[in-house]
Amino acid sequence: MTNGVTRRSFLQGAAALGALAPFSSVAFERDGSRKILVFTGNQAVPVLDPHWRYDWSTRMIQQSVYDGLLKYVGTPPRIIPWLAEKYEASADGKTYTFTLVRNARFHNGDPVDAEAVRFSFERALKMNAGVAWMLKDFLKPENIVAVDAHTVRFTLDRPFAPFITYVPWWYIVNPKQVMANQVDGDLGKKWLTDNDAGSGPFKLRRFDPTALIHMDAVPDYWNGWPMGEAKRLSGVIYRIIRESAPRKAALQRREVDVMAGVTPDDFGQMERMPGVKMANFPGFTSFGIKFNCQVGPTADVNVRKAIAYAFDYDAVLAIHNGMAELMTSPFPTPITGHIAVPGIPRRDMDKAKEFLKKSAHPDGGFELEYVHVQGLEDPRRIGLSLLDSLRALNIKVNIVAQPWPTMTARAGKPETAPNMMSVYVTPVGTDPDTVAYQYHRNSWGLYYGVSHYENPAIWKLIGEARGETDEKKRMEMYAEIQRGIVADQPEIFCMMANRIWGLRDYVKDFEYSPVRSTSEVDFYPMWIDA
Amino acid sequence: MLTYILRRIGLAGLMLFGLVCLTFVIANIAPSDPAALAAGPDAGRSQIEQARREYGLDRPLHEQFLRYVSDLARLEFGRSIATGRPVGADLARYFPATLELCIVAMIIGLVLGVPLGMLSALHKDGPIDHFTRIFAVTGVALPPFWFGLLLQLAFAAWLGWLPTSGRLSVFTEPLEPITGLLLVDSLLRGNGGMFLEAASYIALPALVLSFPCLAQILRVNRSEMVEALRADYIVAARAHGVRPWRLVVVHALKNAMLPTLAIIGLRWGWMISSTVLVETVFDWPGTGLYAVSSAIAGDFKPVMGVTLIVGLNFMIANLLVDLLYGVLDPRLRSA
Repeated sequence: MTNGVTRRSFLQGAAALGALAPFSSVAFERDGSRKILVFTGNQAVPVLDPHWRYDWSTRMIQQSVYDGLLKYVGTPPRIIPWLAEKYEASADGKTYTFTLVRNARFHNGDPVDAEAVRFSFERALKMNAGVAWMLKDFLKPENIVAVDAHTVRFTLDRPFAPFITYVPWWYIVNPKQVMANQVDGDLGKKWLTDNDAGSGPFKLRRFDPTALIHMDAVPDYWNGWPMGEAKRLSGVIYRIIRESAPRKAALQRREVDVMAGVTPDDFGQMERMPGVKMANFPGFTSFGIKFNCQVGPTADVNVRKAIAYAFDYDAVLAIHNGMAELMTSPFPTPITGHIAVPGIPRRDMDKAKEFLKKSAHPDGGFELEYVHVQGLEDPRRIGLSLLDSLRALNIKVNIVAQPWPTMTARAGKPETAPNMMSVYVTPVGTDPDTVAYQYHRNSWGLYYGVSHYENPAIWKLIGEARGETDEKKRMEMYAEIQRGIVADQPEIFCMMANRIWGLRDYVKDFEYSPVRSTSEVDFYPMWIDA
Repeated sequence: MLTYILRRIGLAGLMLFGLVCLTFVIANIAPSDPAALAAGPDAGRSQIEQARREYGLDRPLHEQFLRYVSDLARLEFGRSIATGRPVGADLARYFPATLELCIVAMIIGLVLGVPLGMLSALHKDGPIDHFTRIFAVTGVALPPFWFGLLLQLAFAAWLGWLPTSGRLSVFTEPLEPITGLLLVDSLLRGNGGMFLEAASYIALPALVLSFPCLAQILRVNRSEMVEALRADYIVAARAHGVRPWRLVVVHALKNAMLPTLAIIGLRWGWMISSTVLVETVFDWPGTGLYAVSSAIAGDFKPVMGVTLIVGLNFMIANLLVDLLYGVLDPRLRSA
């Protein structure tokens, strides 16, 4: 007993630790012959109510629990019939008539009928939150009519071409359940925060907003299971792990089956993990550096052009290890009507200097503030690259990291908006209006309108294009809008980063659709083969 | 004694009010727009204004403050902007997890810190003393989030002995809470399996949280023991032939424990506040994590609620330590 730690006591200690091990090493959980898929991401789901709130994690759960009339699938994104088996649009583009499938049922067994659809759209419009902004300027609650049990008619105030591209995000709730749980005329808002009144492929089992959400697959889902009843999952768990290192560790240990939020730096390391495969797809979220077009040196288009030409676009690709695509227009590539705008700036220092000469500051000598979201590494590195590029123009860059709430507050007025603010924007649909409208006067002060971009001719065109019913003419208008915005350079059109997930190799039928937001996935087609 | 206690409680109340004022001011001078966040990422102006009205954010600041204070007087902490849920209910739900984590961390700190301190005092300037010194300095110096990530990597990812994060496996249905402390509840219900599972989940975060505290207890205990072992009464006791272990544990340790007790009181408050980092790394569903996720969302009512809880803990712990001093040190009892 001279050595302090004897071999025996060491082994005893190891055995004690080992006794805990069975609780820590888990593969996919089996529930009888079925499996539970565990997905991990960093973002909580504060509110499940589909008419109150959405973001990527929230909508991923909403999409699982609820159904829409239509659904987005695939790449490029297509809209397929869902609760509605078909729809018709009137020639004047104002009336849309949806015919519902006959076999859809809510989780409690009630049929999904026209009244449920009418109620759901009315509820969303009345609550004036979440998805309401998409349609509220064009659709009044009284103009939604349940014609019969399986037919719903929407009459818009005026033609609004993007209408159909927004419908998939308006989920249908069961009016009977919602109204039975109404408190003080809140339209069931309190109850729907953590309860489910849907008809979707999964139903809520456990809702712990900061830790996990457990959903059970609906055995006799009205629309069937694409992998077949025998192979379908028992359920899905969304487990929230906020830091990227423990997320990776959990995937490596098979504590989780799918991991969201893989950075390009993680990619190489994870690719080598045994039993792990990567899902790596071109993104839809644009990253831009928005100039303040009203106040300060960047109010001058020549300064903006000079900066856009000095910017090192290749550095952006290098920062993402090549897993990104440069923007060729203000519109992300999957947007309908996207064109590669000829002459969109790429690095050209001669041109940059030429533009600066034409400005009020021909020799530079000023400082610009570059604001990015605190804690995000890529925008910070892009800021450093910008700082480096602009040194050649004798322009200083002050890189400032701020919390997102502060940034949105600063975006409110031209006086508080920074000279340059880096922003990620994910369009909610594939219609060109979704992106074009961000450059409209009405978007001033919102985070994507932080530029306070001003061009009345373009604004007029954006306003007209959203009501144009002739598709060909409409696309020509958007081509002109894209060219016009690039000419005014309200921002540096940077890139779309790839979306990357890490999956255990037994996870099958992971289907990507760029229109889903950030790390959002569709659990419906997925299953485990092991 | 009673007037002393009452005075201390009165003072604590005043301090708490000061804390309320301070947190309210900090929450409101931060340039952020909670209404815009509540309304969602793509919301237009009308939705933002509606959210502002709904949460009373359109009222003048002094009015908001008065309402907040009068709510607090009725033990209401307001509503979270992000979820619409009452903050009081959220705190009641998350605090037991934090409490459990801190209690376990404190126990680790004491169980390891006191004997190690004693050992180093007995072997002053020997190898054991040097080793614990290095250990203690590291303990104080290591940033908890970094240390946490490191342990996660070692014990969860590489060795696979312990789970990475969370409070229980995602597949385990949680118990209906009795005390809210999982380790206690699982024992009360006679569920040994769940007790072991909960223990495996709490081990890493509690260890990380205990480290600075352990280090400080160790160092203070060591220096007090060194002091005590040199005292006249020890020399006298030794001369009387008191057995060595009795000398150390009963005579010296009891006297050395007084400052250690003060450290525990102080450290308890710090520990509750450092759960903010540890809970984020380990996704421990307590008030620290709640505060962080709310702060990121610009949702200040929960942040203020957690601040008050942390402040309250500081005050209660200090009060208890003062009272315990009286018990342990007869000289203070009459004072």
